[in-house]
Amino acid sequence: MDLTEEELLLQLNQPKSRSRAFSFVVRSYQERIYWHIRKMVISHDDANDVLQNTFMKAWNGIDGFRGDSKLSTWLYRIATNETISFLANKRMRSQGSIDDVEASLLQNLQADTYFNGSEIQLKLQEAILTLPEKQRLVFNMKYFDDITYDEMEAILGTSTGALKASYHHAVKKIEKFFSEEN
Amino acid sequence: MMNDKNILDEKEAKELAFSVPENYFDQFALQIDKQIGYQHTASRKLLRSWMYVAAMFVGVLIIGQVFYATHKRNLARNEENYESYVLSQVDESSMVDYYVEQSNQTDHK
Repeated sequence: MDLTEEELLLQLNQPKSRSRAFSFVVRSYQERIYWHIRKMVISHDDANDVLQNTFMKAWNGIDGFRGDSKLSTWLYRIATNETISFLANKRMRSQGSIDDVEASLLQNLQADTYFNGSEIQLKLQEAILTLPEKQRLVFNMKYFDDITYDEMEAILGTSTGALKASYHHAVKKIEKFFSEEN
Repeated sequence: MMNDKNILDEKEAKELAFSVPENYFDQFALQIDKQIGYQHTASRKLLRSWMYVAAMFVGVLIIGQVFYATHKRNLARNEENYESYVLSQVDESSMVDYYVEQSNQTDHK
């Protein structure tokens, strides 16, 4: 099946073809959305849960999607919201514990069988985990996925100027992290 | 060797070192299909063709049964007809003679 975005939207709006079209959407976007989530929640199991919630939210909210933005932007927005709520819940649950969420994410990363990074890659993840959540999100989207600021603006609802400043600060903090390490 | 200044420019740093279990994305997509109640055309087609085969099999059985029953009924009817025909060809006096002869033979024994 090879469909344009317009054809896909048309099929998604018709009850008869909806599930088939949505199955196509899942197959087309699942990897990109998964990696977007995974970079934030670190563990595969958590990423899997958030990814499932993302697609089920999208499925239940198709009627509300009017095609004002690209399908991928809409999915990224849902995935981002789901990821932020997941981390907020994790933060709430870990209140009172000695380690904060970022420290526990780093611990998970070191023990993760689905992470086989070099020393540099592990250190970089450690540095990224020192960033505030929104900055971490912006850094990951720009640095690893090379998403344009315009697209990021549509996904995150933050102005391009603010996003550029956020990315700049993130880069500076990471460079500082490495210079202090040595 | 880590170069602290240009770490972000290194190709290795940009590569994600995360991985996923084998066939994860195929399985994930199938799981979502199940949750939204979507059946693949291929599996639906396969199911439909199996249903056709089963229906044909049942049809052949029923038709066979009907033919067999009709055939049995016809055989029985033919036998009956033959007996009536044979009896109709023999007159009453010959029949009496035949029965008398039969009973005499039995008495002699």
